Amino acid sequence: MENLSKEIREAVKKLFEEDKVDLVIGFENGSLPLKATPCFIRNIDDIDRLVWNSRCENNLAVYLTKNKGKIGIVAKGCDSRAIVGLMQENQIDRENLVIIGIPCGGMVDQKKIEKSLQEKEPLEVKENHDSLVIKGNGFEETLKISDILYDNCMSCKHRNPVIHDVLIGEPVEEQDDVDEFAGVKAFEEKSSDERWDHFVKQGEKCIRCYACRNACPFCFCEECSVDSSQPQWFGKSIALSDTQVFHLMRSFHIAGRCVDCGACVRACPMDVDLRFFNKKIEKDVRELFSHEAGIDPEAAPPLNTYNTDDYDDFIKS
Amino acid sequence: MKEMIIKKDALMNLLTGRADDCQVFAPVEVEGSLVIKEIQPGDEITISSMNTKASIKETFFPQRERLFSYDLSKPGEMKEPPFSDRKRIVFGIRPCDAKSLTVFDCVFKGKDYPDPYYIDKRDNTIVIAVGCNEPSTTCFCSDTGAGPFSTDGADLLLVDLDGSYLVRVVTEKGESFVNENTAFTEAGQQQAETRDAIVDKATKAVHAQVNPDKVKKKLDDGFDSNVWDIIHEKCIGCGTCTYLCPTCHCFDIVDETTGTTGERLRIWDSCMYPFFTLHASGGNPRKTGKERMRQRVMHKFKYFVDNNEMVACTGCGRCVKYCPVNLDIREILKQIEVS
Amino acid sequence: MNNPYLPLQARIDKVIMETEDRNIKSFELSFLNKKDEENFQFVPGPFAELSIPGKGEAPFGIASSPTEKGMLKFSINRTGLFTEAIHNLEEGAIIGVRGPLGNHYPVEAFENKNVVIVSGGFAFTTLRSLTKYMIHDDNRSKYKNITVIYGARSPGLLLYKDELREWEKRDDIDLHVTVDAGDDDWKGKVGFVPAITKEVAPSAEDTYVIVCGPPIMIKFTIPVLQELGFPPERIILSLEMRMKCGIGMCGRCNIGSEYVCKDGPVFTLAQLSQMPDEY
Repeated sequence: MENLSKEIREAVKKLFEEDKVDLVIGFENGSLPLKATPCFIRNIDDIDRLVWNSRCENNLAVYLTKNKGKIGIVAKGCDSRAIVGLMQENQIDRENLVIIGIPCGGMVDQKKIEKSLQEKEPLEVKENHDSLVIKGNGFEETLKISDILYDNCMSCKHRNPVIHDVLIGEPVEEQDDVDEFAGVKAFEEKSSDERWDHFVKQGEKCIRCYACRNACPFCFCEECSVDSSQPQWFGKSIALSDTQVFHLMRSFHIAGRCVDCGACVRACPMDVDLRFFNKKIEKDVRELFSHEAGIDPEAAPPLNTYNTDDYDDFIKS
Repeated sequence: MKEMIIKKDALMNLLTGRADDCQVFAPVEVEGSLVIKEIQPGDEITISSMNTKASIKETFFPQRERLFSYDLSKPGEMKEPPFSDRKRIVFGIRPCDAKSLTVFDCVFKGKDYPDPYYIDKRDNTIVIAVGCNEPSTTCFCSDTGAGPFSTDGADLLLVDLDGSYLVRVVTEKGESFVNENTAFTEAGQQQAETRDAIVDKATKAVHAQVNPDKVKKKLDDGFDSNVWDIIHEKCIGCGTCTYLCPTCHCFDIVDETTGTTGERLRIWDSCMYPFFTLHASGGNPRKTGKERMRQRVMHKFKYFVDNNEMVACTGCGRCVKYCPVNLDIREILKQIEVS
Repeated sequence: MNNPYLPLQARIDKVIMETEDRNIKSFELSFLNKKDEENFQFVPGPFAELSIPGKGEAPFGIASSPTEKGMLKFSINRTGLFTEAIHNLEEGAIIGVRGPLGNHYPVEAFENKNVVIVSGGFAFTTLRSLTKYMIHDDNRSKYKNITVIYGARSPGLLLYKDELREWEKRDDIDLHVTVDAGDDDWKGKVGFVPAITKEVAPSAEDTYVIVCGPPIMIKFTIPVLQELGFPPERIILSLEMRMKCGIGMCGRCNIGSEYVCKDGPVFTLAQLSQMPDEY
């Protein structure tokens, strides 16, 4: 990990020296032992802040639509797919973007770590090749990284960046044998009552902080339908029907665009199971349009295009 | 301060036994998360070293609260919710959350416009807080004028002595609660000594991180400081910090109608949202994340201090722990301090 | 305990279409409950939250004068969902009123002084209230010269046209009505409010000036007034911010430590210069 951090710093140094960037968006150590945090480097003297480890969990592509100029961005597999998606939707000035791709072994799930530590608090974390050594008051525990990855990382099919200008480290092996839709299939097997029950439970947890939306690289709308007052599509309170419709709308709006980066799930403070919405729709889009989001910059999201042979079985006479 | 002793199981029995004649709110584990809720038969009160995810705010200032209901077919008629005299007990909150009630008192119990919805709940509630023997790394309560055993906002403050609680009697309301129940006995010298040791250890465990007085001095003429250009940069503008915060109290007023009947509601709102200050004419005094972040910090550490002589932050650390991008308020304040 | 969120009930007695673009209507209300009317005491300057169940509520400056007994007037520009809903109400409809909210123009300080009112467009509402109040028979002798400079983009967009004509005839009020662009019938002044203010050049001696209007008008009028010698303590403005509760709690209308709804909306330029530039 130290080597990869060093390699990032060298690459960024070169970009600044060659005047290819004004701003680099990467990660630095966070304020808590288990956290890395997004950082904005504008000066070559600050590049030593940049780090890489298994806690660099945020999808930095979310910042691309909010910043202008010559930008360099550190991109994992999923971040790179989000960048491709944003390119497809003309949200990115590719000419002025340098993608510093980094093959990713998956990010560790803070909640899974919390669970395995029970109530013990981590004070210091050291990362080895495939494990985290966590120390606290009177304890030391070693956790295998592959056991504590986020669910979406466990079934990720694109750990290597799908697009990059600079590549850090060596490509990692892809997880070709995992079924990324296993969870969705299990959910589809449930009765409609059970599925509705799950949907209700998730809606009840939501506090409408919009962390999911704001962490999502594809939620770049100037005015979100949920904020619109003319017309007002949604009630503003946490009434169940409104939270449910909000999450449904968001899922549908990112249909064929969501790259399953997990940013929404991580951002949610209330543990709403947001992935089940999105993954189900991703599966439907895959089946109906043979489309995988964020792979080919030249392709268009299926719901942004029209073909005469598009699926139309939902139209009943 | 008067101090009593009560066995833990005696207190739990007392609380669950009271559920008939009053509402009892306490931390309970629901789907792996610790939440404060009204205790129902079968619920197990859980006092853990972790704080609850959501604060006590919901219990006094609900996220969705009915101001009155109306019937569109009967113009001019409004029905207020019943202001009951039903007694409430809030048990097991931490001193940071109890302290937040003193912040709320400034807002909702002001002399100009006392808020009947808040006052009804506040005045009918006995707050029994439990001190923190093991503060967390995200805690900075000592910096904000409270501390792991602060009695501010509580009627009774409990110190966990393992099998029993030492009970510090803070207010008259607390005193009469103790007097009504025979399970409380006078604390002895030895228990007071144990209490001292625990308080001392915990207080030392909360490391000083920020100095609100110094921050205030910087903020007094820091509105145009360059620091605001930098610190909001990674903020994604969600409302997690404000909604989990025990002191954030901004709200919106909306109507929800179904058919011909409906309710006017007071619902939480957040200064982090761009539409919060958008004027109907299209103008917006807080257009970007920079202005909104400045407002949040200024409100807590300057404006509120100017108006109420206390910071609107209790150092509970929820915003530190749950911010999706680890934008740590302590780091922000440190940056301001050295700006 | 008084519930500050409960609107008082009033009836719309009269609806007046003020402007030819049909966007501004005035509503004259009377309280259903006589007691509410007695309790609703104010000095010109405050606002009230008007309320329609199912549509919500929004703040509007009170355009009537307390000397107009039994009547409460609001002039409302149609800009959004709520103002649209009010515009759709007809005479006889019931509407909720919460108020009076906020502070008022310092009329006590105006006594034995000259008063200049400078206003543009739709912002004239609470200044109509103030003018009406000062020129009332009971009050007129308390003030020295009263000058009113009022402008709109075109003659058809002027508010309170009948009243302006009446005021024109009085010799105890120096009225200057101007439009940005006139039409064939327009016989009055043509020019922007700041320019007309410069032309009228009211003396700053012993004088208070109140300025209300669109931001751009205020921006260019203030330097004119300063040039005429008005000190910032005697330049008075009324601010507009997005508000909800109107009682200093909901957190959106503050400028620094001051809440426009509770500590304002009326501030002197001297006060504003001590506040952050965030309005």
